[in-house]
Amino acid sequence: VNVLAPLVVAVPLLTAALIAAVGRFVGGRLADVLALAATLACAGLLVAVLARLHGRIEPVWLGGWHPRDGVAIGVSFTLDPLGVGLALFIAALMVLTLIYGSGSLDPEPPHVHVLALVFLAGMVGFCLSGDLFNMFVFFELMSVSAFALTGIDIDEGAALEGSLNFAVTNTIGSFLAVIGIALVYARTGALNIAQAGHVLDHGPVDGLVVVALAFLVCGFLVKAAIVPFHLWLADAYAVAPAAICIVLAGAMSELGVLGVVRVVFGVFGGPVAEHADAVRAVFVVAGLVTAVLGAVMAYAQDHLKRMLAFVTIAHVGLFLTGVAMLSVAGIGAIAVYVVADGCGKAALFACVGIVQRRLGHVRMSALRGRGRELRFTGAAFTLAALIAAGLPLTGAFLGKALLDDALTHGVGAWAVVVAIGATALLGATLLRAAGCVFLGWRSSAPEGDYDPLTEPQPTTPIRMWAPTAILLAAAIAAGIVPGVRHAAHVAATQATAHTATEHVALGNAASPTTHGALTAPPTHDWLLSLLTAALAIGLAAFMLGREGLPRLTALRAIHSGRLGDYVAVLCAGAAIFGGAFALALQ
Amino acid sequence: VTVLAYGVAGWLFLVGLAGIVRSRNLIGVVICVSVVQSSTYVLLLAIGYRSGAKAPILADIKGGTPVVDPVVQALTLTDVVVEATVAAVLLALAVQAHKRFGTLDPDAMGELRG
Repeated sequence: VNVLAPLVVAVPLLTAALIAAVGRFVGGRLADVLALAATLACAGLLVAVLARLHGRIEPVWLGGWHPRDGVAIGVSFTLDPLGVGLALFIAALMVLTLIYGSGSLDPEPPHVHVLALVFLAGMVGFCLSGDLFNMFVFFELMSVSAFALTGIDIDEGAALEGSLNFAVTNTIGSFLAVIGIALVYARTGALNIAQAGHVLDHGPVDGLVVVALAFLVCGFLVKAAIVPFHLWLADAYAVAPAAICIVLAGAMSELGVLGVVRVVFGVFGGPVAEHADAVRAVFVVAGLVTAVLGAVMAYAQDHLKRMLAFVTIAHVGLFLTGVAMLSVAGIGAIAVYVVADGCGKAALFACVGIVQRRLGHVRMSALRGRGRELRFTGAAFTLAALIAAGLPLTGAFLGKALLDDALTHGVGAWAVVVAIGATALLGATLLRAAGCVFLGWRSSAPEGDYDPLTEPQPTTPIRMWAPTAILLAAAIAAGIVPGVRHAAHVAATQATAHTATEHVALGNAASPTTHGALTAPPTHDWLLSLLTAALAIGLAAFMLGREGLPRLTALRAIHSGRLGDYVAVLCAGAAIFGGAFALALQ
Repeated sequence: VTVLAYGVAGWLFLVGLAGIVRSRNLIGVVICVSVVQSSTYVLLLAIGYRSGAKAPILADIKGGTPVVDPVVQALTLTDVVVEATVAAVLLALAVQAHKRFGTLDPDAMGELRG
């Protein structure tokens, strides 16, 4: 493991440099092959690292700077099953992105490949890093390449605008994180997560600790797009190329959630555990508000990609409620949910990409009934919509059911009711879109003439539909493959083991092994899930029976697309979170 | 000195954010982003400052002489590099936006709504 872990980041970075250097001479096809090979190599290395980890935690000290007497003096990757597993998921999504995008993204000169590989290296490095400042550096690396990838269609005005909003708000988020890191260093003299956590365990919980926690959490929540930091995401994902959206929606937002996990279980594990109930309340409220607002805004969208962007926001809100439980059950539930739901959402974006290619449009009102001939795409979109609603026998069902159980035990049944309401509304919104576009059922606008924005193509190439099918298969498999609950349990146990991780990461003890699995969802979860799906179908039928979209003037006004407004809301949100944490850790 | 440095860091942070919110020009936004980031440089350096200590170039000074914390200086340098990258990407987007919209006013673009 020791030898392979740094290669996971080095291989994509070096290949990116190689393509940047020689790409313009060798042509786009070879760049396609090189980028795909590097991403596959990265995924293969991660499989090897994960296999040799045996469900333990293992620090890798870069450059041989091992801790002396339990004090970290070097920079480390702290490998744990959750981080390595998420990194592997990201690399797999990137493979599909590159296959899906080959040909549709302009390969000459091959800037997309360079950016995609740097993006991959940043995301993977972020997952593995055991050092706060390196987390920030990898965070910036992935952010900057994501800004450029989002705005890669520079001929599109909206793409530029979305990319600018994305770039400025996320950069401010990184500053919040780096201020938090600086304050942690000021208190603990450490940048290593385990070392800083160890010092904070034994120190007082005063104003400095609260402010540092608030800055760090807000920094990562901007990336996770939790309300009120979510405004940029709807703009960015609506304009990014569909191929890029596969990895953006499938994985990038979730990295913000991973950052929060590292902060609340690693660095601030001690202080947070002392005030667990209050911290839980802050995150649960934020997560549920995000889920509900995301679902309502998705319902109000006509633009399919913007609709999916709000679906992404809503789901990240649900993931945050899982983190909020501060328990093995909560983290285990979202470990399953993130993978299954990430695949499902990526499949939705992939379907919209196919619709855009075949019909030249992404607005529901313009597309009504025009997708009748796209039977495969329509079926895939409908299936993915049902997965988003938590259809039984899929991974999303398993994740959602485990999350519901964790929520019931953590805060009570009311949270489950809200979560089910949001999920049903999301499923209904997506089913309405499927009914409107692929079946021509009534919604939003009358069937009429339309001008394609881009020239419609007569066929769907295999490079587009095969990744879509693979994503759907993976979303379903995550629910029925044996061993998923065991793997999630191991990952969650290690990720939440605050004190044990400190000892292992600082070389004071060997990593404990873990056994057992998350308990299977009980029968009432199956009933609840069927109820949710039925509710989604019923709501979709109700929506299809009405003309037009809801107005929601006030809510739409907040999502104004204006950069200044977004930054003002972000600052207000950071102040609110800061106040909430000050009260919670009093 | 240190209290003043923290005050400066806080001021730069807030005034930079206010600038981003109020700016009617994308180049102004990029400069304000740099101002906000400068606050992190000042904060990091203030954290590592020790009154009366020397610069941490250990080859030139006697052993045992107090030095300021070299770690935060390395972090600041990294931060500067990150900032340069972000500024380059933002400026490139601003140039493209000017080509596309004929203006640098972020509020005049407005293709994304609701």
